[in-house]
Amino acid sequence: MAAAAALRLQIEDALATRFPAALTPVSRTIHEVAATGIPAADAMLNGGLPVGAISELVGPECSGRTSLALAFVARRTAAGNLCAWIDAGDAFDPQSAAASGVRLRQLLWVRCRDAASAIVRKREERPWTRLDQALRATDLLLQTGGFGALVLDLGDMNPAHGTRIPLASWFRFRNAADRSRCSLVVLGRASYAQSSAAVVVDCAPLRVEIVGGTVLAASSFQLSGSRRRFVTQRAGVRKPPASIWSVQATWDEEKSA
Amino acid sequence: MSRELYACVRAAEFPLQALLRLRSDLKAQPVVVLDGPAHDRRVCALNRLARQRGIVHGLSGMEAESVNGVLLLPRSHSVEQAARAALLEAAAQFSPRVEEASEATACSFVLDIAGSELLFGPAKQMSARMREALAGAGFHVSVAVSANFHVARMMAAAVRGIVIVEPGEEASSLAKLPLNALKLEENPRETFAVWGIRTLGELAALPETELVTRLGMEAREWRALAKGVAPHIFRPIEAAFELREFYEFDSPVEQMDGLLFLAARMIDCLIERAANHALSLASLGAEMRLEGGQTHRLTIRSALPTADRKFLLKLLHLELAAHSPKAAVLALTLTAEPGRSSKVQLDLFAPPLPEPSQLDVTLARIKTIVGEDRVGTPVLEDSHRPASFHMEAFSVDAGADTYDSQPARLALRRVRPARLIQVTLRENIPAVFRDRGERFQVAAAYGPWRSNGCWWSIDAWDTEEWDVLTADRDGVALSCLLVHDRLRKEWRLEALLD
Repeated sequence: MAAAAALRLQIEDALATRFPAALTPVSRTIHEVAATGIPAADAMLNGGLPVGAISELVGPECSGRTSLALAFVARRTAAGNLCAWIDAGDAFDPQSAAASGVRLRQLLWVRCRDAASAIVRKREERPWTRLDQALRATDLLLQTGGFGALVLDLGDMNPAHGTRIPLASWFRFRNAADRSRCSLVVLGRASYAQSSAAVVVDCAPLRVEIVGGTVLAASSFQLSGSRRRFVTQRAGVRKPPASIWSVQATWDEEKSA
Repeated sequence: MSRELYACVRAAEFPLQALLRLRSDLKAQPVVVLDGPAHDRRVCALNRLARQRGIVHGLSGMEAESVNGVLLLPRSHSVEQAARAALLEAAAQFSPRVEEASEATACSFVLDIAGSELLFGPAKQMSARMREALAGAGFHVSVAVSANFHVARMMAAAVRGIVIVEPGEEASSLAKLPLNALKLEENPRETFAVWGIRTLGELAALPETELVTRLGMEAREWRALAKGVAPHIFRPIEAAFELREFYEFDSPVEQMDGLLFLAARMIDCLIERAANHALSLASLGAEMRLEGGQTHRLTIRSALPTADRKFLLKLLHLELAAHSPKAAVLALTLTAEPGRSSKVQLDLFAPPLPEPSQLDVTLARIKTIVGEDRVGTPVLEDSHRPASFHMEAFSVDAGADTYDSQPARLALRRVRPARLIQVTLRENIPAVFRDRGERFQVAAAYGPWRSNGCWWSIDAWDTEEWDVLTADRDGVALSCLLVHDRLRKEWRLEALLD
């Protein structure tokens, strides 16, 4: 064994200039993930959304982004984590969240608004916009730490506004999320975080299921991963992974109860 | 047999000390306090620097004003009252039996410290600790210890610093004090002056019988006082534990910095007073008297009782920024509710939670950005009314330790406020609707889901809900929730199914 080790060292030394550590396995960093609770999504994401990183759920309206994010938050709150929903569009529905299993007592909801903030600042300063408010709140919560998941809901935001968010902000969010081991989930119509995002999931509507012709019982959505920073793409595989998942309507639960 | 032992703490120039204990910035300059009606204000208290400039008690306000560089402050009985409570509370740390012996502009308390030596050490050491503790509360006091109540009281008035009168040395200690220490009325004082009696020692040396014959039975008491043997029945007072600090500004304050500068010192005092009882501050209330007679009130309640001045000051700052007073501030009162210091049992395997005090500051900051009522935890109401909930303050909760999986559900994205739309019906089913100038063809409509309630009140509702699938001209499908308000005869787009 000693001879084999010595031989390996000799070969590595000889090839050191061309192939550093040629015979030593490359060390791998295992990135922690948190399950979303949706088997199809977790399978596509290799276990779930990354912890301590930015994930983006991207898609048009009615593409299942909110349902997916709520499912993720529900799992995080059930595990005892505190979560926050920073709602730039004031679109969060507490009933839906409760029906999805989110423990509302563990959820901080920040509702941004158009009106001037409570601070009466100098006259020349214009009122903060919803986007500004959301970004500032996200920054503050990430710096505070201790949250298991933060959802930055820019789902109703015009992509033209979202793409104007400075990359420096996203970079700061990424570092803060990494430091505080917080999953920052961004909902949007387009991808805004760019290189700072660890995962970008494209969502799209697929079909709805009807019961008895009068009740909308479930919807199906399509997911595809357009960016996964922590996963090495195998050579020759170009098509991004995709998945289909279904979600039942809230009143379906009430009916079964 | 238990021996009597008393300690008298005396804060001279109390009107001045009460004002300066919260204004450390004024301690390095000559300051006098004026009292009396506006047309005849006179100096009632002054500091050493003012005395060095020739100012004395009783000088008129006009004369004091003519001295360069002297700051004139009006006397505030409210400030003195708050300071007296703080002084009493600080003194009561050393003995539960306290009697007030204030006179003129000095605030004095006599403590029954018999038996306290085991706790605080010998009399000299205890006096030093007492003086140090009171200095921490912002008072410069003289302390006199004696086995006789009146000796302790008179010695504290006569000396600065600490004086210990050993048993048997009362008469000799008092001998050199002037006769004024007895606070005699004018007649006997004049009589003693005619006799050439100027000190207590000279009075004590007079024969008792002859003295009583000439001046009456009161003279017996004066002689006993001068000899240091006058008896006293101790009448203890109860020190009410109320965390309250008050300050009246000499001029209206408009800048927040000035207000916070004073508030910082007041919070310091409150924390120290609470700490003397092994407590922290659970909440802080600020009451500001404004120009024009209005009152502005703020309340700060931290997640956990705290004794962190910076943290409380930051919360007060943020609260003031969010709810600034409408006019200049004339007086500031800070009150606090005491609470037990927080003890958190940490769990190695529990998920990390935000540090409560840091979270409080963060939430206060976010509230200043988005508004007071826009941050918190949503709580569902026990009602069939659609989308009924209210917001409650968010607090750190350890959360559940059991895990129960629940399948994902189709979520709604609310449109707030709901948008009015125009709907065309075909066989009582929505067929087309127009939203913000755009026409949507309904591909499928599911419903109606009818609900109504509160028909007896103004909050009555009667609605029909439709889950609608649409496709616009670009072929983009939308799933949305349309509501027909049957009372108001209108259609609204209330949510999207996302």
